[in-house]
Amino acid sequence: MNLQIKIHPRFQLKPLVIILLALMGLAFVIAMVRYANGIGAVSNLSNSYPWAFWISFDLFTGVAISSGAFLMAAVVYIFELKEFRPLVRPSVLTGFLGYMMVVIALLVDLGHPERIWYMIIHWNHTSVLLEIGLCVMSYLTVLAIEFAPVVFEGIKWQKFAHFIHRFIMPFVILGVVLSTLHQSSLGSLLLIQPAKLYPLWWTPILPILFFVSAVTIGLSMIIFESSISARYFHRGLEIHLLEKLAKVIPVILAIYLLIKFSQLTLAGDLKYLFTGGLMSVLFWAEILIGVVTPLILFSIKRIRKSPNGLLIGSIILLLGMILNRFDVSWFAIQHPDPLTYMPTFMSAVHYFPSLPEVLVSVGIFSAGLLAFGLAVKYLPVFETNEDQHDIVS
Amino acid sequence: MPSTLSRRDFLKISGAAVGALVIGEFLPPWVAQAARSNGVLDASDSGYIPSMCEMCVWRCGLLAKVDAGRVVKLEGNPDHPHSNGKLCPRGQSGLMNTYDPDRVLTPLIRVGKRGQGLFRKASWEEALDLVTQNMLDIKQKYGPEAMLFSSTHNLSQVQFENLLNAYGSPNYGTQRSLCFNAMIVSNLTTYGMEEPNRKYDDLKYIILTGRNLMEAISTSETSALSQAIDRGVKVVTLDPRFTKTAAKSAEWLPIRPGTDLAFHLALINVIITEGLYNRNTVLNQTSGFDQLAAAVTQYTPEWAAPITEIPAETIRRIAHEFAAAAPYALAHNGWRTSNFVNSFQTERAIAILNALAGNWGVAMFPASGEESGVLGAPPQPAYPRVSAQRLDGVPWKYPFVPLKIGVFQELREAALSGTPYQAHGWFIARQNPAMSLPDRGRTLEAFAKMDFITTVDIIMNDTSWFSDVVLPESSYLERYDPLNIVGNKAFLRQPVIEPQGEARSALWIYKELGTRLGLGDFFQYSDEEDYLKQQLAPLGVSLDQVRQKGYVDLPGEGPDFTEPIWNTPSTKIELFSTTLDKGGFAAVPQWEEPLAPAPGQFYLLTGKVAQSTQFASQNNQLLNKYSDEPRLWMNVATAKSLGLSENDLVEVASTAGKIHIKLEATQAIRPDCVYLTPGYGHLSKGLTVAYGLGASDSDLHLTFTDPISGGQALSQTFVTVSKI
Amino acid sequence: MTDIQHKTFLFDATRCIDCRACMVACSVENKIPMNKTRIWVAGVGLKGEFPALERASMVYHCMHCNEPDCLSACPVGAYSKRLDGPVIYDPKKCIGCRYCMNACPFGVPHFDYDKGLIDGAFIDKCSMCTQRIDVGLEPACMATCPTGALMFGERDELLKYAHDRLTAQPARYLNHVYGESENGGTSYLILSHVPFKELGLPELSSTPVRDVSEAVMGVTIPFALGWGAVLTGTAVGVHMVNKKKEADAQKLETSEPQAEEKK
Repeated sequence: MNLQIKIHPRFQLKPLVIILLALMGLAFVIAMVRYANGIGAVSNLSNSYPWAFWISFDLFTGVAISSGAFLMAAVVYIFELKEFRPLVRPSVLTGFLGYMMVVIALLVDLGHPERIWYMIIHWNHTSVLLEIGLCVMSYLTVLAIEFAPVVFEGIKWQKFAHFIHRFIMPFVILGVVLSTLHQSSLGSLLLIQPAKLYPLWWTPILPILFFVSAVTIGLSMIIFESSISARYFHRGLEIHLLEKLAKVIPVILAIYLLIKFSQLTLAGDLKYLFTGGLMSVLFWAEILIGVVTPLILFSIKRIRKSPNGLLIGSIILLLGMILNRFDVSWFAIQHPDPLTYMPTFMSAVHYFPSLPEVLVSVGIFSAGLLAFGLAVKYLPVFETNEDQHDIVS
Repeated sequence: MPSTLSRRDFLKISGAAVGALVIGEFLPPWVAQAARSNGVLDASDSGYIPSMCEMCVWRCGLLAKVDAGRVVKLEGNPDHPHSNGKLCPRGQSGLMNTYDPDRVLTPLIRVGKRGQGLFRKASWEEALDLVTQNMLDIKQKYGPEAMLFSSTHNLSQVQFENLLNAYGSPNYGTQRSLCFNAMIVSNLTTYGMEEPNRKYDDLKYIILTGRNLMEAISTSETSALSQAIDRGVKVVTLDPRFTKTAAKSAEWLPIRPGTDLAFHLALINVIITEGLYNRNTVLNQTSGFDQLAAAVTQYTPEWAAPITEIPAETIRRIAHEFAAAAPYALAHNGWRTSNFVNSFQTERAIAILNALAGNWGVAMFPASGEESGVLGAPPQPAYPRVSAQRLDGVPWKYPFVPLKIGVFQELREAALSGTPYQAHGWFIARQNPAMSLPDRGRTLEAFAKMDFITTVDIIMNDTSWFSDVVLPESSYLERYDPLNIVGNKAFLRQPVIEPQGEARSALWIYKELGTRLGLGDFFQYSDEEDYLKQQLAPLGVSLDQVRQKGYVDLPGEGPDFTEPIWNTPSTKIELFSTTLDKGGFAAVPQWEEPLAPAPGQFYLLTGKVAQSTQFASQNNQLLNKYSDEPRLWMNVATAKSLGLSENDLVEVASTAGKIHIKLEATQAIRPDCVYLTPGYGHLSKGLTVAYGLGASDSDLHLTFTDPISGGQALSQTFVTVSKI
Repeated sequence: MTDIQHKTFLFDATRCIDCRACMVACSVENKIPMNKTRIWVAGVGLKGEFPALERASMVYHCMHCNEPDCLSACPVGAYSKRLDGPVIYDPKKCIGCRYCMNACPFGVPHFDYDKGLIDGAFIDKCSMCTQRIDVGLEPACMATCPTGALMFGERDELLKYAHDRLTAQPARYLNHVYGESENGGTSYLILSHVPFKELGLPELSSTPVRDVSEAVMGVTIPFALGWGAVLTGTAVGVHMVNKKKEADAQKLETSEPQAEEKK
């Protein structure tokens, strides 16, 4: 047995690290203000907008972009397509950090973050949010277990790595089930607001649409993360693998389009496609940017095989799908027509995120980026493990 | 076994501390025991204590929920006819009035200049001695008439009047001429009584002239009107504004200000010329019909239409509808009727309209007097003879104004002008003339002429702010007041909590002051409870029994309708008023052209909102929470034509003064009018919530006085509005 | 819907004079801070153009729905519905996620955006004055209403009263009792002279809003188990297929050299 210790190149972007650290620090300070003086002290959330930027960005988008992990785990362990192994560790890391960011963001957004564990002991079985909460907590544990071997290898505790890997299968299956549940449940969160979510988005099959789109988001995230990592950490890009992932994306996007437009037709909501003003514009933006364009791009072999093509295609899909998450959780939520209110402080029916509000999320995201970089630097994240025990993924 | 301990003695003995005591502790032990066994208080001294509200003059009976010495909730007393178990928003906010952090709880003596608001705390001894000294100095130097006494109607009024009468001053100011003189004097000249009672149960048709009952809430009457509308009674409202009452009415007539008189004269014209009046009533119960008929022939609906800006067909139709519904029809005589100088004539017309409808005994009833011979009173020597004329011109300038009502704005003018003689002192109790009198600048100038001003108030209101000595009265939840007769019951106001700080009741203050002024014989009661016991003596009930229920039934029968007797010279309803005729005034209602704004000017209207009471309640945080922002109403189209938009800061100016305020562009007002809610624009920085809020109508109001009723004409002020 | 026996409010928008006594009373009774409220007025307010004008507004507080969405949505079950009507919020369980605020079609739950961790940020909403109704009193808002615009009592009685009024005065009201069936029925019924939308009320069908969400949640566990079974089966199957392929390949490998040797 020959341990190969690869010396990874240093980050060459020191200024970036400083900026990220500064943003983290800023977010931390803002969070402290939030804990001292309330959510209203650092955000523009109100009774009219109990959920807005934080939920859209940190929860909806954060969970969606962490969906690569379960896909790769399924591909490699359930379908035993071993060639994709190099993509598993980075996607699990992305997933793990992604979910960590979700939880940290929730610790700021929740009124009682110290009671987050109440979801474990107080159960309301009709609550979608309970299901998401339990799934996210469980899945974070699963991801930790799936990533643990990487950590153990990094600190040379081979036996522990070995041990975990022997029992990885049930966790992979659990991870796929949990991910399926909560990726779709994020859509289910909106089921209880039929009167509030614009008809172009509300449908009882929101969970299905969310799951299907989550698959495409996960695949695109793997492409995106690999492309960026290749550039910044000066490693090779596994184009042959990414090309195969990219090949699947148009198929799933086509399924998504079919489901979506069938649903609109059957519900009799096609009319809103052009009569909804800003709502119609947002919807078409989502579809054209997040579905149609990537569908076309990734159908073209030349684009699939080019590093730039892969990167740009994934970015476009991600932007469009993130817009979808923002639409469903914030932009397309209808608020009552302006009315006369008494007391007048009830009239606050408008919302735009405040700077501290945005900075909290930016800071958390920066922490995630930094953690990713640190993990890549000190842990065998990009190890392909051919020359190591077969036990490690 | 009744103890002879008086409340004051008990407080001395127990060394009662300042602050909230458990209620059982301030009551003598045997009383508290009785209260507990009666079920009024439970063993932990919590329970409901009946008393009376004072957030406005309707004085609803209330039940105060007390918990460990604090008032925690107020409910309407179902046994009180003004409340019937309900309280309006001001009534519900009453405990904030008592627990207002800005309460004045110790006597204050001014140290800086008047209006600077610099006071030092003093003991009652020092403060009362200072007031006594000044009042005696003024009496000695200038005569007792040089001391002005003014108070807005309240339950301790009888002792206030006692004080000023015993002191020997004729100069008595009340708020009434700013409010209802026109209505009172017109009822007196027509019916021989100040204001008949109204009953809504059988009505089918109501004409409201102003009387914004849905905002100027008089709880039971507001309920009655609402229930009438519920039953399908047709209500017609005349108002230049679309008030909340207008919104509930079947018909709203946006009448031109000052022309209600023309409208009612035209109604009378139609009813008489078409023979729609109640012949029986006219024949048997009125006098002067022929003179009236002759006088109104000119006042046709066609004549009234261009004046009122209401179509002649509408006026005629309403006259028909009113007459058809008679005697189940009421023309409401309003309350605040100090709008135009011709308001008196309007009120005469309304009173006569009711007579023609023959609705006496159906819609209108004799009023129960406030003073009834049934209650006892402390014995009293005769008052000293007063030789000086009243400064307010009653009766030498205003022969028809009752002495108890007076002409308050004239009092202020005389204080300024010094004619017929200069006043030197002003004693003000439960009143805010700095805000209520028109033309605030002149009132402050009048203050400047006083050698001495003292105020009795519960909070540093604007008048207190300009005083030399402020005597803190306990709030209405903290004090006894003389019994108040409503219908056939005498209601009690009793303390539901221990008074905070050093605050004392007016009964105590007047007695203390009176005694120091050498007038002790006029105040033959040892304390509030003793006073009440003397009031109750003829009825043979104990104060404790009254305290439990909150009232005592009075003996005697109800009003007699079989043979109504009008207290007029002719003993009939005087359509032609012999009294007015003798005084050289129009004996039947006649048209008087009101003043009108010049081009570019607007009528300045003021009115009521349900969340405040005149000039007293704007510091109440609970009411503030649910109040509209005080802005100037202007018609949307008018605003647009002036280049003004919603929330613009505008300058509103009259010849009296100017204010700055935000604009509210609304559809709910005539294009030629603007509206301001009174009571804002306080000058006192001692009102930490109200100071700086809105602007004062008094800065703009001009002073006019109707020569017959002495009423002010609040809507006769015209203003310009311009962007700042 | 009408056989549910419990306490209900009835609001008659034609009687309400927007005096706000109910609001002051609620603030006092329930000790609500000055910058918060459990009860508010909303509506188009003044409608029309001078002089053809009308007023339309409504007093809002919790509708105490028969099928509460807040109750359905709250992850930790901080809401419960008493048999006699009130929907009760329990701050002891609340984690401050504010999902109930999303779920409520009427925007009822209000949150303490101004409270930090020490004071504790909670939801506040109308409790139907349980501290009063439990001792035989009526809720504070309705007890003080001078015009009787707010009424309170047993649901069937109030529904009958409401329908009787619609029959007796058809010109006065829109012919509908809002809350009788909306969202599966609420404990706050409304009579109005203007379209309910103008009072700020959402258009809701008689199907409870929470039904779709609960149906989907209902299939979650079966789905998860099924999906898990499918995945397990797939994994096992794929593994067996691959193992067989491997075994075949090995057999091929071991047999070929033999063939070679034989040559």
